[in-house]
Amino acid sequence: MNEPMAPVLEFDRVTKEYRGFWGRRFRALGEFSLQVQPGEIFGFLGPNGAGKTTAIHLAMGFMRPSSGKGTLLGAPFGQAAARRRVGFLPENVALYPRRAEQLVRFYGGINGMKSQELRKRAGQVVEMVGLQDDIRRNVSRFSRGMLQRMGLAQALVNDPALLILDEPTSALDPVARVNVRELLVQARAAGKTIFLSSHLLSEIELLCDRVAVLHRGKLVRLGMTAELLQAGDETEIVARGISAESFTGAVTRNGTVTMIVPAHQQRRIVENIWTSGGEIVSLLPRRRSLEELFLQVVAEPHRGSAEVIQ
Amino acid sequence: MKAVFLIAVNFVREQRWPILVMLLWVLLLAFLGLTAEPMRHRDDLLFVFKQVAVYVIAFGVFFGSSAIFNDRRSRRILGVLSKAVGREQYLSGLVIGVTIASAIYCFALGLTGSWTLGESGFPVWQVWFLMICLLAACMLAGSIALMFSTFLNPFFAAGATAALMGLPAFASYTSGSSAWGLVIPVDALAAAVLKASFDSPATASWLPVVFALLETLVFWIIAARIFSYVDIAVSVE
Repeated sequence: MNEPMAPVLEFDRVTKEYRGFWGRRFRALGEFSLQVQPGEIFGFLGPNGAGKTTAIHLAMGFMRPSSGKGTLLGAPFGQAAARRRVGFLPENVALYPRRAEQLVRFYGGINGMKSQELRKRAGQVVEMVGLQDDIRRNVSRFSRGMLQRMGLAQALVNDPALLILDEPTSALDPVARVNVRELLVQARAAGKTIFLSSHLLSEIELLCDRVAVLHRGKLVRLGMTAELLQAGDETEIVARGISAESFTGAVTRNGTVTMIVPAHQQRRIVENIWTSGGEIVSLLPRRRSLEELFLQVVAEPHRGSAEVIQ
Repeated sequence: MKAVFLIAVNFVREQRWPILVMLLWVLLLAFLGLTAEPMRHRDDLLFVFKQVAVYVIAFGVFFGSSAIFNDRRSRRILGVLSKAVGREQYLSGLVIGVTIASAIYCFALGLTGSWTLGESGFPVWQVWFLMICLLAACMLAGSIALMFSTFLNPFFAAGATAALMGLPAFASYTSGSSAWGLVIPVDALAAAVLKASFDSPATASWLPVVFALLETLVFWIIAARIFSYVDIAVSVE
C-alpha cells in the first residue's frame, strides 16, 4: 500500500489575531486547517479581508500565529532553511532598484545559490517571464506588469519545490497572463507544487486541481475544483422533438430545448420527453462557474465550522 | 554568511546618497588642508577634523534607526525574508552595512586627516587609531539604534539611542568613576577624538574599543531576539 505523501504546506488549527493600539483584538484567521499536497496547483480564494494574505504570511514566517501551528516543506513555519526551496511572490511586488539581472542574482545569492550557477539561471528566469529584452534595464523604470513579472523571476530563481503566489497576474495584460499560466502548468508538470491566491476566478478554474475558499478567516469550502463546480442537485437536459411550452422553465436554443431540473425530478421529466415523442440529446449534472460558487459562499451567513467537501 | 554580506552591501548601496553627502565634510577638510598653512593653522585644522569626525556617530544612529523601517515601509523586506535568510542574519547584514557605511567615511577622513594633520605634526598612526575608535563607536551606536528600531519608529529609536548612550556619561559625571566609560563606551570613544590635541594626541586605550565590539554583539543578540517576535508584514505606518 502506498504511504500518503507528506503535505508540502500544512496549517493546523492556526489562529491569528491582531491587536490594535488600544488593545482591541481583530481575528484575521480562526482555527484554520489546510493541507496542500505535493505536485498540485492549489487555488486559494476569498473576498478582500478574508485572511488569505495573513495565511500566506504565516506560512512564510513573516508573522507568528496566535495559536496553532503549521509546516512548510516539513519544517515548522518560520524556519529559514525551509524557505530555500520556496519561491514567493507577494501581492504588492517591491524590489530594490537594480538592473533586472543583478536583482535576480541578488535574490538568488541571499538564498544561498552559487555565483556561477546564478549567472546562468538569472538569464533563464528573466527569459521565462518574457523580460529578456529588458535584462539590463533598472527595474525602477519598469511598469507594474513588468515588476510583477520580475517578482515572479525572483521567485523562480532558486528552482523552488513550492511556489507561493499571491495575486501573480493581477497587473498583467492578457498575453502575459497566458504566459504565466503556461509557466505554472509547466512548473506543475516538473513536479512543483503551486499555492495560488487570486481574485481571477476564471484563472483558478482553469489551473487549479483543488480549491479552498476562505471567508472571514474561516475555511468555508475545500475540494477538487471539478467537484466543487458540480451543482449536484441539478441536471441540465437538452432534448429535441418537443415543445418548450410543455415543460416549465425550458428554453429553445438552436432547435433544441434546454431545461435545468432538480435531480430528483430528472427521471420523471425524461420519461415525459420520451412519451411526448422527443429525443434526449444530452443529460449532464449542471456545472456552475467558480464565480457562482464564490458568490454563493460569500453570501452565506458566517458559520462557526467549515464545510469541507473532501 | 554570503547572505549577510549581500544584505550589507545592498544596504550600503541603498544609502549611497547619504554617504556621498557625508563625504562632503571630508572634502571640506581637504579644502582647508589645501588652502591653510599646516603649521600656522594647525589648531584650526584639528578643530575641524574633530568636528567632522564625530558627525559620523550621528550618521551611524541615523542609519541604524531607519534601516528596518525603510525596508518594512517599502515592503522590500518581504522579498529578502522570503528567502533562506533568518531574521538574525538580516540584522547582521544591517549592522555590517552600517559599519561599512561608517568605515567608508572614517577611511576617507583618516586619509585626509593623516595628510592635513600629519603635515601639522600630529602623529599619523594616532589619526588612524582615532578612526578605529570612531568606527567602534559607530558600530555600537548603529546596533543600539537598530535594536530600538525593531519596535520603535526611527525618530523615537534615534532618541532612545541618544538617551541610552548618554546614560553612562551622566553616571560617570555624577559618580566620578571612569569605569562607567566602558558601559556603552560611545561617549568615551567620541571623547577620545574630541580631547585629542597636539600636546596629548592619545587619550584613549584599546579597552573601550574592545568593549564597544563586545557590546555591539550583545545589542545584536537583543535586537535579534526582539525582532524574532515582530510581525514584519504589518504596515509600519
